[in-house]
Amino acid sequence: MNNGCLEQRKKEGSKSFKFGSKSDDFALAIAKVAAAQVCDSVGFQGFHLSALETLSDIIVRYIFSIGKSANLSANLGGRVEANLFDIIHGLEELGSGLGFAGASDVDRCVVNSGIVRDIIHFVGDADFVPFAYDVPRFPVVKELKEIGSFREKGEDPPGEHIPSWLPAFPVPETYATRSSVENEPMSVSIGKETESVLASVERKTKRSLLNLQLRIANNEYEGGSLHGVENASRAREDFEGNPYLAAPLHSGEKDVEVSPVVLPAKLSNEVTLRNSVPGNAIVGNNETFASAIDAMKSGLCDSNNGKKKLLSTQRPTLRFKIGIRKKSLGTVPDFNPRNEDLEKDDKKRRVETILKESIQSS
Amino acid sequence: MNHNPQSSDGKHDDDSALSDFLASLMDYTPTIPDELVEHYLSKSGFQSPDVRLIRLVAVATQKFVAEVASDALMHCKARQAAVVKDKRDKQQKDKRLILTMDDLSKSLREYGVNVKHQEYFADSPSTGIDPASREE
Repeated sequence: MNNGCLEQRKKEGSKSFKFGSKSDDFALAIAKVAAAQVCDSVGFQGFHLSALETLSDIIVRYIFSIGKSANLSANLGGRVEANLFDIIHGLEELGSGLGFAGASDVDRCVVNSGIVRDIIHFVGDADFVPFAYDVPRFPVVKELKEIGSFREKGEDPPGEHIPSWLPAFPVPETYATRSSVENEPMSVSIGKETESVLASVERKTKRSLLNLQLRIANNEYEGGSLHGVENASRAREDFEGNPYLAAPLHSGEKDVEVSPVVLPAKLSNEVTLRNSVPGNAIVGNNETFASAIDAMKSGLCDSNNGKKKLLSTQRPTLRFKIGIRKKSLGTVPDFNPRNEDLEKDDKKRRVETILKESIQSS
Repeated sequence: MNHNPQSSDGKHDDDSALSDFLASLMDYTPTIPDELVEHYLSKSGFQSPDVRLIRLVAVATQKFVAEVASDALMHCKARQAAVVKDKRDKQQKDKRLILTMDDLSKSLREYGVNVKHQEYFADSPSTGIDPASREE
């Protein structure tokens, strides 16, 4: 145990094995109590905490290095499990710094090692103080609770393509509600199992379909960008009547709407690209809106002359879709998340709002 | 070799002594608990089903720690004796035997472990220095 060896051990300790890590707190606390008991048996009446911590750290490292060298010599002998002689080898290695009786003898027997004789003497002389506490076995290893396969549970797998030895699905309620928002077909197929689930899933799919329609309409109107606030303000405008008959746009508002055109050609291209990406993705399903968007794009890419053209192309599209948007926008408040718990009255209210809208529009 | 028969006889004696010692370990309960030793041995990669080996490691560790501690005790006593010589009025106060880093690092150096004092910062140079407890 010379200095070089110690440095090496310290390096290994810091790299592969941390004595001071959080998971070792319990073991280090036990070592501290043991060190304190040993100090007490030796004759100390008190201790500084730093000294006790150092001593407990040395206990831990001593055990660790004995185990390491014993394991090394066992592996050198082609064994997995270490035996007594491996441990004696390890003890001799650790004690070689201080020296022991018979260490210079080349062909000495391990059984007759001076270290073991010292230990035997120590055990014979010292009166052993048992550890102060009952120590449970640690670290605690939790056994994983298995779900069990379809066969073990005695269930039939939901699809023919699922073999029965696979782990069973969890209770459908745990995942059906979440998936219904994002993945409608899956929730529909699962919803077959119980009628109540089926009903709620149907309602949700209807709602999401309506939402999808609404979004497509909005996208077409906004040229691909989704701005809830703007949509709301425009909806209010539309309710007032025909935009051609309404008061002219304020200069500021117009600037806001037209400003992308004033930008240099490069930037405006980027803007249109950015705007058109989500718009195309959705409008691709619906060919009726494609022409309007194309017209808008060409208008945006044009120079100053195109400004008026842009307005003229935009307004008809705005006006032609009024009918669709009014209906769908009118139903928006029903689909707020806070109303979700009132699903019983959902249908009634929807019918009422649709009737109101038809009266207003007429 | 002519000492072969002799040593084989001695080996038989040693064998029996060692096996007796191992058997006697089962009755002992070392101060260092088996669970702690087992934990760190398994962390080092050591595996053995034999409880006696774990007890042996525990006893060896306890011996090592006890030797270090008794050396520190000697250092402590020697230091106190030196202090008492200088200042007799502090005699009563310093009579308690307390394990300090000073003594521990001195005794550990003999076993090949270099322990350095932890450096610390103090607002005044005299903070933490008890002239009675320092030799220097």
